[in-house]
Amino acid sequence: MSDLLSDDISSVPEFLAHALEMEVESAERYRELADNMEVHNNSVVAALFRRLSVEGDAHAEQVKQRAKKYKLPSIAPWDFKWACPDGPESAAMDDVHYLMSRRQAVQLSLHNEIRGHDFYRQVAVGSSDAEVRGIAAEMAEEEATHVAMLRDWLTREIDDQQPSLVDLDPPNTPE
Amino acid sequence: MVVAAIKAKDYKSGVKPIWCPGCGHFAILAAITRALAYLELQKEQVSLISGIGCSSRLPAYVDSYGFHGLHGRALPLATGLKVARPDLTVLVAGGDGDGFSIGGNHFLHACRRNIDMTYIAMDNRVYGMTKGQASPTTAPDWSHSKMTPHGTGVRRFQPAAIALAAGATFIARGYSGDPKGLTRMLVDAITHPGFSFLHVLSPCLIFRPDQRSWKGEVHAFAAETSDEPVAAAQQIHADDGMGLGIVYAERLPVWPPRQEPTATLATLEKEFLV
Repeated sequence: MSDLLSDDISSVPEFLAHALEMEVESAERYRELADNMEVHNNSVVAALFRRLSVEGDAHAEQVKQRAKKYKLPSIAPWDFKWACPDGPESAAMDDVHYLMSRRQAVQLSLHNEIRGHDFYRQVAVGSSDAEVRGIAAEMAEEEATHVAMLRDWLTREIDDQQPSLVDLDPPNTPE
Repeated sequence: MVVAAIKAKDYKSGVKPIWCPGCGHFAILAAITRALAYLELQKEQVSLISGIGCSSRLPAYVDSYGFHGLHGRALPLATGLKVARPDLTVLVAGGDGDGFSIGGNHFLHACRRNIDMTYIAMDNRVYGMTKGQASPTTAPDWSHSKMTPHGTGVRRFQPAAIALAAGATFIARGYSGDPKGLTRMLVDAITHPGFSFLHVLSPCLIFRPDQRSWKGEVHAFAAETSDEPVAAAQQIHADDGMGLGIVYAERLPVWPPRQEPTATLATLEKEFLV
């Protein structure tokens, strides 16, 4: 298998169950990160994660609409066939910091979108089912537009010179 | 499309965690809600008990019954609850300071009593809430605190070995960076009849940024789960403290045993009538 897939995804319902879990988890993760950054007074990054969570909800809704006519299997949390700890499009919880900049946050989300794209592309290439390959290829194309959008943000919208955040009462370690 | 009766996010309360971004506890919270959803446990059938510390804030973030108790006293509280309400699924959560220092004695007796509940010890080897002092599981040479500028010089508390010696019937170690494995372990722990001890390595990236390296240090235990205490002890002592998996699981009688009451409530009340 490939670096993001541990096994063959061989039916459309199974594939859509994976896609739905991945998109829902990604949107929820952004929402959690937005909440968490708000709690820690990093409002700039919180707003960015909030916007990404809204975009994520829209992607999840698209997958839900596509899945409407299928009976999706119930998959145990540990049986999803991605070869990574969480869904490929979800940032690892330890990849963030309360002083992170907007640029770092966009870089993180770009990384997530690239992995989402790669996951769909690897299914599109590797599935034993032709219909799954077709749908996955369509979804990979769509993810490619998200990747392009974030690359655009990174190069045009995000100010490279944004000053780093400072904590006036930093943690008491190490000294 | 099949819609699951209850989803992981349904167990999350509306309270926003105040844990620092990057904290391992977020992944443990997610694993708990996923495990509860997988087991289709109704919210009113679950109670989450804690003591004091960063990790002990967990009951506020889970939409079930819960009790944020006294420092180190989560296990006695949970014991009382489970004995009074054996129908409930009782989970206990806390940190290495709460559970192994001030609550250390309760830990021993909870292990030996084998009451049917699950203890999740979220170990970051530091007191995070009070800004980074050494805890019972901190290495003796960790010197990054004003309180212990030369390290504690004291050997670390060994949770798994002590749980085994004290009589726990289910002992496992998980890692917050492995949410899939942790969820599965939680399901096994919750469904284990008796006291299940789940020691979770959960990095504190603010006071222990060195714990980022745990990602590359954790590994599966060398051997399969054993139901033999001697084999489990050998496995635990041969391990470097970063082994993951269920190291020991044995089915032994759960306390309290089912017994017929020796008196009715009415009879007892008569004794107290003035």
